[in-house]
Amino acid sequence: MAAQHSIQLPADDIRAVWQSAGLSNGVLGGLRSAALDEFLHAGLPGTRNESWKYTNIKRLADELTDYLQYKAPAEPDGSAALDLPDAIHLTFVDGVFSPERSDQKGLPDNVKLTSLADLAEAEPATLQSLFGRLARTHDSALVALNTAFAGNGVALVIADGTTLARPVCITYRSSQANAAAQPRLLVSLGQGSKATVVEHFCSAHPVFVNPVAELHCAADSSLDYYKLQAEHAETWHTAVQYIAAENNARIRTTHVDYGGALARNELKLALKGRGAHAESRGLFMADGTRHVEARLDVRHEAPDTTSRERYRGILAGRARGVFNGRIYVGQDAQKTAAELTNRNLLLSKGAEINTKPELEIYADDVKCAHGSTTGQLDATSLFYLLSRGVDKPTARNMLITAFAAELLTDISVPIIAELARNALESLQADTGGIRT
Amino acid sequence: MIIDISNLHASVNGTEIIKGLNLQIGPGEVHAIMGPNGSGKSTLAQTLAGKSDYEVTAGTVTYKGADLLALEADERARAGLFLGFQYPVEIPGVSNVYMLKAALNARRKAKGLAEIDSVEFMRFVREKAKLMQLDQSFLSRGVNEGFSGGEKKRNEIFQMAVLEPDLAILDETDSGLDIDALKVVANGVNAQRDGERAFLLITHYQRLLDYIKPDYVHVLANGRIVRSGTHELALELEANGYDGVLAAAG
Repeated sequence: MAAQHSIQLPADDIRAVWQSAGLSNGVLGGLRSAALDEFLHAGLPGTRNESWKYTNIKRLADELTDYLQYKAPAEPDGSAALDLPDAIHLTFVDGVFSPERSDQKGLPDNVKLTSLADLAEAEPATLQSLFGRLARTHDSALVALNTAFAGNGVALVIADGTTLARPVCITYRSSQANAAAQPRLLVSLGQGSKATVVEHFCSAHPVFVNPVAELHCAADSSLDYYKLQAEHAETWHTAVQYIAAENNARIRTTHVDYGGALARNELKLALKGRGAHAESRGLFMADGTRHVEARLDVRHEAPDTTSRERYRGILAGRARGVFNGRIYVGQDAQKTAAELTNRNLLLSKGAEINTKPELEIYADDVKCAHGSTTGQLDATSLFYLLSRGVDKPTARNMLITAFAAELLTDISVPIIAELARNALESLQADTGGIRT
Repeated sequence: MIIDISNLHASVNGTEIIKGLNLQIGPGEVHAIMGPNGSGKSTLAQTLAGKSDYEVTAGTVTYKGADLLALEADERARAGLFLGFQYPVEIPGVSNVYMLKAALNARRKAKGLAEIDSVEFMRFVREKAKLMQLDQSFLSRGVNEGFSGGEKKRNEIFQMAVLEPDLAILDETDSGLDIDALKVVANGVNAQRDGERAFLLITHYQRLLDYIKPDYVHVLANGRIVRSGTHELALELEANGYDGVLAAAG
């Protein structure tokens, strides 16, 4: 029995596929089994569901059983890891952690990097304290799906007071078409610890990628999180990250999205402790007939919490973009300050954006603002550049690059800004029905 | 002749603003166009620079022997026409130096010159920035980003100095400047006077002309030049106001 507004799924077929995939063993097996029931009960969300209004995954639902059919990961194809010589590189293939393709040596003593299967054996209590604590299967059908079909994921546990100077870079690759990847990442930052985490999605085949990340940030910790979504042009990508910040934790998130046929990212950030602070920025780009959605849900649950969210979209061709940003301020979250902005650039007549910034405030002493603008390149700026002798295509490129570059300053992983620039260049090539 | 404007008519959104304007500027000459608000001063400047929403309905403009009106805005600039904006635009994310290098190289290419060497370019722009008393840090900042009104105007003249145009049209470059900034701007313009380069100064006040001595002064009213003279005319305007001069002009 599917829930209201959801897409009917062939429950018996999916259950049979799940059973044949051998996912029912061990500590994770129990969690998976419960999640499968939840998923089949919920079904996939349809467009009558408010948060899926502009993103239609009916076609994914039709093919879901085939995607979920177990396929043993093979040798991955396509792009290798990001050029980050200092990083600790981890690799997932078809959604499953691949230790033989990952660096696990040379980690500081206070940093634990382990597969979820190993963690479940060695420290089931630690696993239980991190897994599914933020990502609740009954809140989201896609979290339930991930949990039900999650192969071996990875956990990064950083002890109190430890600074991990090297970034941890996780590359999510594919080895075959029509596979479903359900990667799971757990991160725990101990009190006063510091880390940089980079997630890089770069499937080389048309696949379905449904990642869930849970990041726990203890008091006074500092997290610099990056996500680069550069999936294959026919890939379905539906990701969610949960981040919980305790007292005075400092969170910074940077999302860059330019791949996939349909890509949706949801960032759920909870400022749970007094004085926690979050800076979130996102750049999403699409051309052709791609569909991209950026969702943001920031919860201020404690006093003196502050956040700033800046998202920018650039859409070309006949691409469609969706932005939904919500700032929630709970009753106890006095002295909250939050500022949410979304700016979008439409480069062609056929491109489209639906944007909805929202504030939901239950405290009375707060300072919150939100705003959204959508437009074309500024004609006055363009004329200014032309009047200096810069030709029109160059002037346009300068303005488009500037629109993105303004957001991507102060990046500790510069390769991401470089890749975003490259993506912008190919985006500009899609001049179908150009404006001005 | 650098520019020969003959019977120019121009409209903005279907409303005629320039109504039969004639003006010739020879090499090395400095002309000032003065006029009350709404007389069409800025429209003239933007029309000559090639702003796309300004429509020329009649007349001709010959620039260095060619039909100026047949050129796009960027082509006009590459042919050596420069417009100093009344309201310079802020373009965050595009650095001053990046824009200038692209502009200068585009102009050099049009002249059949090779791209400027990066070291040579930096030496050149630093020297010009110094002349305009612009801090070196301005070079790497976004175009006009967070600049004060005076800094923006100095930046316009700085850009002019780098691009070395054949004809510079300066649209109310003096407006909003205090006397010290005005002197810096005037020095920048005077440093560019070489007997070849021509200037068209558009201004509301005669004050600028105390520092940049024009060869000719024209009074623009209702889209036409109604009087022309020498610097004396500017002083007469200062003494009698536009109303007095326009009444005398009939």
